[in-house]
Amino acid sequence: MIGQETNQKFIVPIGPQHPALKEPGHFEFAVDGEIVTGASVRLGYVHRGIEKGAEDRNWTQNIYLLERICGICSHVHNTAYVAGVEQLAKVEAPPRAQVIRTLVAELERIHSHLLWLGVAAHEGGFDTLFMYSWRDRETVMDILETISGNRVHYSANVLGGVKFDIDDKQRDMILKGIDFLEQRTHHYMKVVTTDETFLGRTRDIGTMTREQAIELGAVGPTARASGVTIDIRDSAPYAAYKTFPINVITDENGDLLARFVVRLKELYDCYRLVREMLDHMPEGELTTRVPRKIPAGEAVSRVEAPRGELFYFLKSNGSEKPERVKVRTPSLCNWATVINFAVGHKLADIPMILAGIDPCFSCNDRLIKIHRPNDTQVWTWEDLRQHGIEYYR
Amino acid sequence: MDTETSLQNGESLLQPWAVSTVRPEENRSDIVIARKDLHDAAQALKNAAWGYLVTISGLDAAAPAPLEGQPVVEGNLEMLYHFATGYAVLTLRVSLPYNDAVLPTICDLFPYATLYERELIELFGVTVENTPDTSRLVLPDEWPEGVYPLRKAFTGFAAPAAEGKE
Repeated sequence: MIGQETNQKFIVPIGPQHPALKEPGHFEFAVDGEIVTGASVRLGYVHRGIEKGAEDRNWTQNIYLLERICGICSHVHNTAYVAGVEQLAKVEAPPRAQVIRTLVAELERIHSHLLWLGVAAHEGGFDTLFMYSWRDRETVMDILETISGNRVHYSANVLGGVKFDIDDKQRDMILKGIDFLEQRTHHYMKVVTTDETFLGRTRDIGTMTREQAIELGAVGPTARASGVTIDIRDSAPYAAYKTFPINVITDENGDLLARFVVRLKELYDCYRLVREMLDHMPEGELTTRVPRKIPAGEAVSRVEAPRGELFYFLKSNGSEKPERVKVRTPSLCNWATVINFAVGHKLADIPMILAGIDPCFSCNDRLIKIHRPNDTQVWTWEDLRQHGIEYYR
Repeated sequence: MDTETSLQNGESLLQPWAVSTVRPEENRSDIVIARKDLHDAAQALKNAAWGYLVTISGLDAAAPAPLEGQPVVEGNLEMLYHFATGYAVLTLRVSLPYNDAVLPTICDLFPYATLYERELIELFGVTVENTPDTSRLVLPDEWPEGVYPLRKAFTGFAAPAAEGKE
């Protein structure tokens, strides 16, 4: 993906280690003085072969494998996958299970947006905001840990339902946490929209018009910040979003500031949704019976991850393992916007533009599994130590 | 616009090229088209602003091992171009023989398709004609040429000889 000519210019390679973010990716920016004139991207540094791996595991094992595509939006991968398998098996999870799925998804969105706020602030050199937002993010991490037992991979879903219920005590804890976070989010909104120094890093930087966003195939908050009304929770509601509709948050400005504002406003909507769901939680079962054999067929499952539309295509051949699992993650769609909008900006703005799409590298990199049948998988401490010594010799 | 109307609109747009049309689910329509018509069909969807291209899924429909006495059935690759608007998902299905896995590019219509086409090139060994960029996207630099990991024929490499660095 090359934006404009990269020949006969000074090229600044950035990455793969630590290209502004704590994840690997490699960029080459052609510069003329301070100004970027061309850009290209190389991904794949954390490519783990998950799509191939999924063909080698059964339908249940894959719940856990696919959840591990991403450590930030693990639940939403899991939800897209189980929804697809439920379509194939022609079953529907009970209403209470659907609401719990949605509740965890919204809590996950809160944690993801707060995490992004911190990272983006850090890229802008505003480390105080980074530390405060990550401190506050612990509130929602504690909530997730309390209800699921895990901070990262909640494993909330099983085929046909969810694993855990929300009791009254947990309900109160969630509501209390949400109240605190809402008050903090008001503060952050004030900071990012009024702090002059920070505005200097975000206002009119990386501006993308609505037409450009559509042309480049942007998704999620990145597209919505340019006025594109695209949100799967709204346009093709899944799980409990039909009963608990969302407000699609958009902004007309399309710059980095708009991406901050959209994500923060989405947080308000998350808080509202979480409260509504807790107040109107339907009674009933948590799981429904799923046939042991998943019938042959194909299913498409689309959900709205914190970063945008997540797409799963599943093909079953009637055996106990899927024939094909295709995952299209939102970060992949948004790369084109970075590559295009880097051009014409100062090199110093690039980290912020990169962070602006909330890229998730593990999202992109997942397809290949290296399978070595004769390779022993169990290493003793002595083996490991020896390997380390040899490797770094 | 409701899902049914969207799908009907899409189907009538693609009518000139459709080899067959099936509805696997009420919100989905699968339309088989020939490879030579892919660009025209995609152009029709773009001109009518019918949704957006979600992604291209590659499938390797490898033939099962032949039963005794039965003729060997030739497997093939299948490329699925998923378009979506609202609930409606329209899939253009293009079949490619193994020995002639060549596709026309649609990057001139949907510039963002470049990443999906590069995935097909690397992982399925498809040649995409006139695609703007064919450099490596996800596989390691030292990955051998001609090894396409998402083909069913790929089941892993033999264990490397024991040596220090891998």
